[in-house]
Order: sequence, then structure tokens, then C-alpha cells
Amino acid sequence: MPKLKIDGLEIEVERGTKVIEAAARLGIIIPRFCFHPGLGPVGACRVCAVKFEEGPVKGVQMSCMTDAQDGMVVSTTDEEAADFRKHVIEWLMMNHPHDCPVCDEGGHCLLQDLTVAGGHGIRRYLGKKRTYNDQYLGVFVQHEMNRCIQCWRCRRFYQEFAGYRDLGALQIAHHTYFGRATDGQLESPFSGNIIDICPTGVYTDKPSRFTGRRWDFERGPSLCIHCSLGCHIITSARYREMTRLEARFSESVNGYFICDRGRYGFYYTNHPERPRRARIRTEEVSLDQAIQTAAQKIIQINQKNGPKAIACLGSARSCVENQAMLIRFCRVQGWNEPTYFETPTMAKKVKRAVARLDEQLAVSMREIEKADFILAVGADPVNEAPMLALAMRQAFRNEATIVVIDPRPVFLPFEFEHLPVAPDDLEPCLTALIKGAVHRSAAEKMGEEALRFYDTAPAEYPDAPIKNRMVKITQKLRQSRYPVIICGTSIVRETTPDVAADSALLLRAARGRAGLFYLMSEANTFGAALLSSEEGSVMDVVESIEKGSVKGLMLVESDPFRSFPDYERLKQAVDKLDLFLVMDYLPSFAARLAHLFFPTQTLFEMETSFVNQEGRVQFATSAYRGGIPISQISAGGHPLRVFRRDIPGGESQPAWQILAKLANIISLPGREMFSLSKNELWSWIAKEYPIFANVPIADELPDDVRVHLAQGREKLFPSGGQIRSGGLSRENSTLELVMGDWTFGTEELSTYSKYLQQVEKEPCLFMSPKDASMLGLKDRERITLPLDKGRLEMELRIVDTMAPGVIVMPKHRQLAWQKIEKWPVKVAMGQIRK
Amino acid sequence: MGTIKNLAEGITALLKGLATTLKILSRKPVTEQYPEYRRPLPARSRAVIVLTRDPDGEERCVACYLCSAVCPVSCISMQSAEREDGRRYPRWFRINFARCIYCGLCEEACPTLAIQLTPNFETSGRDILKLVYEKEDLLVNHGGKNNEYNFYKRAGVAMVGDKGTQINEDKPVDLKSNLP
Ligand code: SF4
Ligand code: SF4
Ligand code: SF4
Ligand code: SF4
Ligand code: FES
Repeated sequence: MPKLKIDGLEIEVERGTKVIEAAARLGIIIPRFCFHPGLGPVGACRVCAVKFEEGPVKGVQMSCMTDAQDGMVVSTTDEEAADFRKHVIEWLMMNHPHDCPVCDEGGHCLLQDLTVAGGHGIRRYLGKKRTYNDQYLGVFVQHEMNRCIQCWRCRRFYQEFAGYRDLGALQIAHHTYFGRATDGQLESPFSGNIIDICPTGVYTDKPSRFTGRRWDFERGPSLCIHCSLGCHIITSARYREMTRLEARFSESVNGYFICDRGRYGFYYTNHPERPRRARIRTEEVSLDQAIQTAAQKIIQINQKNGPKAIACLGSARSCVENQAMLIRFCRVQGWNEPTYFETPTMAKKVKRAVARLDEQLAVSMREIEKADFILAVGADPVNEAPMLALAMRQAFRNEATIVVIDPRPVFLPFEFEHLPVAPDDLEPCLTALIKGAVHRSAAEKMGEEALRFYDTAPAEYPDAPIKNRMVKITQKLRQSRYPVIICGTSIVRETTPDVAADSALLLRAARGRAGLFYLMSEANTFGAALLSSEEGSVMDVVESIEKGSVKGLMLVESDPFRSFPDYERLKQAVDKLDLFLVMDYLPSFAARLAHLFFPTQTLFEMETSFVNQEGRVQFATSAYRGGIPISQISAGGHPLRVFRRDIPGGESQPAWQILAKLANIISLPGREMFSLSKNELWSWIAKEYPIFANVPIADELPDDVRVHLAQGREKLFPSGGQIRSGGLSRENSTLELVMGDWTFGTEELSTYSKYLQQVEKEPCLFMSPKDASMLGLKDRERITLPLDKGRLEMELRIVDTMAPGVIVMPKHRQLAWQKIEKWPVKVAMGQIRK
Repeated sequence: MGTIKNLAEGITALLKGLATTLKILSRKPVTEQYPEYRRPLPARSRAVIVLTRDPDGEERCVACYLCSAVCPVSCISMQSAEREDGRRYPRWFRINFARCIYCGLCEEACPTLAIQLTPNFETSGRDILKLVYEKEDLLVNHGGKNNEYNFYKRAGVAMVGDKGTQINEDKPVDLKSNLP
């Protein structure tokens, strides 16, 4: 490993490390515009010049373009180098406008900082400045091209790193322009990152324009909870309003970037209709009064109908603290344990995934980037967990083979093999691939069960066109050194998470190394699955209400009206209740129906923990103290001239604290009293769930703590002998309905964001050309779809990248799809009409 | 002996003092009777702050938050916004003169010459809330100490449709042509 000296300090780095990175490790930050650790070097700006005094390279050179080598002696403070940098900055500033005061980058602008640091103050060039016309780039990004210093970061991120093509470089030389061919919304769901990485103010964050300067914001590290990946973010808040989110670097999770759903999804927290007062029916009351009333009602029901007459629903978007307290609450009261999943199948799938993930198989997104073969089953990364698509693209750029087995019309920003097969065929397709690539002896070595699994796997996939494509893929898999299996949990069958884990085990036995990565539906699905011991579901609760055994329902940050498949049935059940208690921060439908409502705090107002889909326990600090934004109270005008000690609209409390207070009132004498201390709650969690025992109870958790169920406790290869044969058993007269996610429009919290609402696409139904021609339907026709509880009208899109025999529909905010009695749904072909 | 000497010295001192008093009693007084007489102060003396206008009569302030950042007692607050024509302006702007120490740092920081201290120091009153000035109270209709400077004419930032028309600017680059 090369050893070099920078400014008199010695350091040893890996071969291939650039001098600029080596210096950064010593804490010496060499000026840079074009170099970005996430994008690598390009040598466009020339501002990273340093003096090489001894060694293989001599003189003033670019530190971002020079590999660290043995014997180098580098000076960053050398006069000649400093003078060089000063001139480079002066030259970059030649055409720069005089607009820092009206520029939204001002205050956190790299160009501003380096101009001052480099010592260039007074303009010497008095000629005319070059100007450019700006473009409309959509809802997220404001464009001001006069400020560009041609560092190429934006294009390198947008096209090379993220794989989208609609923003790039136009024109040549002195006229180089960064933008689109024509005005329009940027197509990439990662577009917001160009705001973070542009070293000047060419791209600024449009929704947060004018809201304040960096130094005015309350900023803190937090987490994105708009999908199960849990990317790291930095929050900014001002005047009781969340104003902006940026990516926070995380080595294992998101790297340097985040997606637009994460960046612009947070507006639910400032929603003008967000309920901020406790309510009894429609009357607003104080939180304490509501808790007292709730306690009375609960005691009444418990006395009359027994402790099992009240059911609780939690949610997978709630933090660990809320989920745990709800479980603890129910246990102490002797109630049934709370439910976190819509259907029993969903609960089962997630629990199996959580049970099967262990320390050796689990991989992080950074490790996915290093894989040379990625096999995704029942996963649609761009729509379900956008940043995963970028991780997969980095693997693709390192020449990995990427295969997606999924019935939906999956799009990824790179070339990949798509095997579109129906949900029933996912397992046979996956296992046929594995069997083709793994020798039987490998399974034999793993024991009888592995062998049985191997032997029941189909030797080949029955469908000819897919079979032929699989030959080449199998060959690649056979040569792979580091294959990773990604398995979704939404559209797959109950057994698929197990089959995926077993497949990964076989691959590891054969290839020496393999990874497993599950996708889950929400930010804390993993936490919910770990904590809840019951496999109950919303479906069971609704049945109990209908039977009359459940009289009261308590929802904790959960809105089943969005996710429960049968809206009417749920509504009728809720109407039958004697007590309907809701705790939430969203203006949800359930919140409107509540008999008793309690306002809770969002992630940004409390200190919380979430467990992401690889079992990583992550911590978020609070961004601000809550309350109604000043801009909403004063309607944009100056803040009211009244003085008070409390925060207007600041009554909301963490749901777990409301639960604790409620429990302390209704608990019979002698029962355990709950404290309002987070540390106490965490000691309870660590006591009840030993795998959390290693999680340090501190305010700042290290992000590398992963919780996995004990090694070797789970039975491996449970699916041996029962892999679905699938394939040809399909009836020809029905189509299976598969529900997909869309990047914008599906995930609950982000659908309350007014900016994401503007980029939502209108929901439509996807069908394969084969089925469409059988029905005589044309692309873009409006059709009506028969569901169990009525018809649904929408546009039809015919796409050849999906499986025949299925139709795909998004779980979309704008679509009232909740007319389904039971999964899976088969639609009679003849019933689909224009 | 000592007593007599002391006595003599005491009397002389008394007489000397009295003489001075008598001399000055006949002079014209220098005391000014405030508020009957209001002395004109130098233009650069620092008291109540105003927000000035540019030569076109537009509000100069672009709500850049620099004055509020530099203010050592944090008595300036504002919210910036965009006018329909693309000009940035403060939607509201507030100075709490009960807190201001009239140091003048805000004026020094202001890149547009908008915020200026004036010699008017007469702000006393019974209600402390009256010392909290809003934009309406601060805005004047002149340029204060400078009637020429017009930030928006040299900023180089777009207001609707004026790319390349400001002082020392070339016409916007034509993306459709490769001619130099
Ligand atoms: S627009 Fe920004 S990121 Fe892109 S080249 Fe110009 S300065 Fe660099
Ligand atoms: S990928 Fe998921 S967690 Fe990451 S920023 Fe996007 S929505 Fe948030
Ligand atoms: S004069 Fe000084 S104290 Fe008063 S507003 Fe200006 S910066 Fe603040
Ligand atoms: S420094 Fe000047 S332009 Fe900026 S906000 Fe203050 S008064 Fe307005
Ligand atoms: S950072 Fe090295 S040339 Fe730009």
C-alpha cells in the first residue's frame, strides 16, 4: 500500500486512492468543485491543485486526478499551488453573476466558500458576462444557468450514476449548457440530488426557495421513512415548519444520495389540515380531557364485554417506541396483541423474511453495489424502494448481470434481463435458475433437507421463450463470484421469502459467497414483525367486529381505510363500534371518523428509532418542537404580535406517551405503571426481546447495529418438497390482478405532500399485448374492471414487458381500488369492458 | 501657626471658586433646551433604521437575510418571497428596536443599500410593543444616503424575461448555434 506525506503528515492508503481523498482522511480538505466522493474524479475545474514536492510526480498537479503513490511528498499550502487555485477561482468567477443576495444557494455555496477562502475578492475582469436562458425543470428543481462553473457534476450524476438521459450537457466550449432538450419536468425520480451536488446555485430546491438561509434553520440528522430502506437525511426546519430535506451520507445504506420521494415526501408534517387538537367526536378538547374520557369508555367496555373486546391496530410506519408501547399496553391490560398487517398472508410473509435473514446472508445496499449477479424476485425497485435501483445500477456499471423475475412491467435505469412470469411462477422460475447453476453435490453437502429442496426444484422452466432466455442467464450465474438475491414481499406468495433464502443458501454453498436482501412495504415493517408475536391481521379484527366480539377499536398511527382491500366492509365494521379511538398525525379518513382523536407527533418532532428491511436499527433526532407553522397562523403576513408561553398547536405528543398516560389511568391497582422515559421503555424492549439487548440506549445510535433473529434457530429449507410447480396450470379464462406500487402516489405519507401530488401520474391498468388482443382492447382506451364489490374505471396501457395472464394495477391514491373481498383476485376476461 | 495657614488657604479657595462662578454666570449658556430645540445630527449618526427604495422606486431590500444574520442581538427577522415578475422581496420584515443597539452592522452587511440607520433617535414611549416595527413602519420612499445604486440592474439574475439585458451582460447563448 502506498505511503505518502501530505503537509508533513504521513498516511498509508489503498492503491488507487486519489491524493485528494488521502488528504481528506487526514482532515485536510483540498478545495474541489468537480470531484465528489460519490461520483469520482474528472479533472474539470482545476481548483484542487497542490504541489508535489518529492516522489514520482513533480510540480503543481490536480490532486483529484493523481493516484497516491509511494514516496510522494505533497504540500497543499505551497505558495505556487495556492496562487494557482486563486487564479482558477478568479477565472471561474469571471462570468458568475453578482447575485448571491438573491440566490438560494447563498450561505451553503461551495463556490462562495472557496472564493472567500481562496482570497479572490475584487473583480478585475470588467468585460461583458456570458448569460444563458434558464429552463423550467419541473416541480422540484429551479434552474439559473448563469451561475454554472462547468464542473459536470450534474451530468455525471444524472446520466452516469443514475442512468437517466433527459438532463445533460448541450453546446460546446465556452457555451456549454446544462439542461434538457426542452423545458419540462425532470424524468428521474432521483433528480433532487443535482441540487445537493451542484457546487453553485444553478439548481436550487424549488419547494424550499426563499424559506430561509442555512444558518437560520434548525438542522439535524434524521431518517427517511417513505420506504423500507431507511435512507439517511438531514432535516431543516424554521418557524415551526419543516422546510427542506437533504441526503445525509451513510456508508452502508444510501451513500451520498436519496430519491425524490424521500426528499419531498415530508410535507405531511406541515399539512394545513393536520389534526393538532384532541377531539371527542367533533368537539375539540384538551389532550388530558380526551385521555380521561377514553379511559372511562375503555373501562366501561372492559367491564361489560371483557378485556378481549377492544382490538388495537398499529402500523409499520410507526417507530419502534410506538409499536413496542402498544404491545406492552395490550399485554398489561390483558387485551389481544395489536395487529400490524392487513392480511394473514402479509403477516406470514414478512415474519418469514425476518426469521430467515441472518448476519451472514444479509447484505447492505453498499454490498449490493459489489455483487456481480443480482437476482430480484417479485421486486420493482424504482417503485418500491427507489434507492435500491441506484445501488443495482452501480453493480451494473461494474458489469454485474441483473435479472428481475416479476410479472409487472418493471423499469430500471440500466440494461437487465426481465423474466416476466405470473406470481405463481416466481418460485419455479427462481429455483430452476438456481438448480441450473448449482451442482447437486453442493446441496448434498448441506444435508437432507437441502437436497430435498434441490430435487423438488423444477429442472427447467416450462414456458419456452423464458426457458430459452434462462440458458444464458444460468451460465452467467454459474460463473458468478458474488450473487445476491433480492426478494420482495408484496406480490409474492407466502412461501417465496423462504424459497429465496433457501436459494441464497444453495448459491452460497456453490459459489462461496452470496447475499440476501428483502424488500418490505414500509419503514418499520421489520420492527413490527420482530415485535409482534401474533400473526393476526386487520382481516381478523374486522371479522371479530362483525361477529360482535370486538366492541372497541384503537388505531395507533394507522389508517386501514387506505390499505384494507374492502373499503365498504371496513366502513360498516367501524360504524358498528362502540368506541373508535384514533391516534395519528395525518388528516386521514380514519381520523375523521374517530369518536376520540389524539394528535401524535411525527418523526420530525420526536426522537425515534426505526428498523430497516435489513434489520438495521437506526435513530432519528427531532428536527423541531412542533406546533402550527408561523406562516399558516399569520397567513403569510408578519407573525402575530401576541406573546404566550406554549407552542400554538403544540399539543401533539408521541403516541407511546399518550398510550402510557392512558394505561396509567385504566390500570387496575397493583398493575405495572408506565413511565414516560424513553430509556425505561427501551429497557423493557431489551428485556422482552433479547435481540435488542445489544442496541445501546443512547440518543445517538450507531447506525451499524443490526438485529437478526438468533442464528440456527430457524429451520432451513422448510420449503423443500413443496415448491410450486406453477407455470402451466393457469386457467385461460381469468387474469390474475397484481397490485403494484408507484414511486409517487402509493406510499401513504408521501401522498400527503403537495409537491409529490403534482408529479403523480394518473393511475392506469397494464395488460400484456397477448391478453389485450384476445379481448380486442387497444392502448390508452378507457376500460372498466370488475372487482368483487363493483367496477373500477381507468385507462388501459398495453406493455410487452409484463407477464401474460396477469393485469397490473397501482395501489394509487387517486384510485378507489379497495373493492376486493380476498386476495388473490382473479378477473374473468369477458368481464373487462370498454 | 498651622491653623491660621489652613484658614487662609481655605478662604482663598472659596473666593477663587466664587470668582469662576461669577465669571461664567455672565456668559451665554451652551445648554440646549430639548425638546424645544432639536439639534441637527450628522447624517451618519446611528439611530432608527429605515428600508430605502432604489431609483426606480422599488423596495431595495431583497430579503437576503444578511442583516438578520449579522445583527449581534438578533432583532431583525423577515420572510423572503418572490414577486410575480421574479423579484425577490421581504413578505414581512420586522425590527425590534427595544433590542437594537444601533451598532450599524446591518447597514454594513446590506448588499443592496436597503437598510440604513438614520439620525432619528426619538422612539421612547410607554408601550414596548410600539418599538417593534413592521415593514410598513420601516419603508421610506427615498434612497437614503444613496439615491443611485440599483442592485437588480447588476445582479445578473433573471427577473421575468430580462436575461442578458443588465449592466455588462452579453446576450444569452444561443443553444441552437455553434458559431462562436
Ligand atoms: S450546473 Fe452545477 S453541477 Fe452542473 S456543471 Fe454547472 S455548476 Fe456543475
Ligand atoms: S429510497 Fe426509500 S428510504 Fe431512501 S430516500 Fe427514497 S423513499 Fe426514502
Ligand atoms: S443596528 Fe445593530 S443591533 Fe440594530 S438592527 Fe442593526 S445590526 Fe442589529
Ligand atoms: S441585508 Fe439588506 S437586502 Fe438583505 S435582507 Fe437586510 S435589508 Fe434586505
Ligand atoms: S476537483 Fe480536481 S479538477 Fe476539479
